[in-house]
Amino acid sequence: MNPTGPLFSGPPAAHGIAWLAVLSLAVAGGAAFLLIWGLIRGRLPTGYALTGILLPIAAYGLASVHMLEGSKHATFCGSCHVMTPILKSLQSNDGSLASIHYGRGLVPHEDACFTCHSGYGIWGGVDAKIHGIMHMVRTATGWYTLPIALNGTFDIDSCLGCHAFAPHFRAVEAHQDPDLQKQLVAREISCTGACHPAAHPESALTGGGPAS
Amino acid sequence: MTRLACFFALIALAALVLMVTDMNGSTAIVFSFVGFPALGLAVLLYLIIRWRVGAFRLNARSVDQG
Repeated sequence: MNPTGPLFSGPPAAHGIAWLAVLSLAVAGGAAFLLIWGLIRGRLPTGYALTGILLPIAAYGLASVHMLEGSKHATFCGSCHVMTPILKSLQSNDGSLASIHYGRGLVPHEDACFTCHSGYGIWGGVDAKIHGIMHMVRTATGWYTLPIALNGTFDIDSCLGCHAFAPHFRAVEAHQDPDLQKQLVAREISCTGACHPAAHPESALTGGGPAS
Repeated sequence: MTRLACFFALIALAALVLMVTDMNGSTAIVFSFVGFPALGLAVLLYLIIRWRVGAFRLNARSVDQG
């Protein structure tokens, strides 16, 4: 069953005009006109030449902000073949921790990957963007091994940001155990593995092929 | 050299249009690793052109290339 209708298309604001994209294309169009003129003539008047170089820089500034925002989307992450099986597993409700959160709407569907993997707070977002550049480098150069693994330890503050003050979470006897709390806070153990199911199934971490 | 600068800037804009109209991993890689260097080269060439006509000298006068 795949219900349709305005209620299922998400908040209206999510489907507005992508102004950053429109603006960057408009600025790029103006720049292209000047640059093609320069390409044909072989020279441009000083003012036009300066405009011809400043407009592409402005277009790149706008497009970069557009990409920073757009690259938070789960569809963007899943567009690289290594990540495609992970996105599919999210949507298939296969019992993994990520798919449980996704299926129950506990994370925003559009930004599901970014919500958990960006770390907590504003610096978590900055870190995620820096790591994202390395993801692109590794994808472009094939500089990775399968099955893919988390780089470092998972920042459980991403979990605690939502769960720490939830009465259901606090009421769990195991969560009240002082030793367990110390281990979790010291990052000696993580939420997944021993107590909760793995974030993603093993089968989704091989990029759709056998492990190398 | 102006033609080369324009050519690189147009390559950068092509990468931008690709990424903005269809954002995914591959177009983002092209935008970041082809578009940005191409734009950087175009700016560098532009600065060399301006330097060659004396735009950055302290006693420079405005020189119109057109």
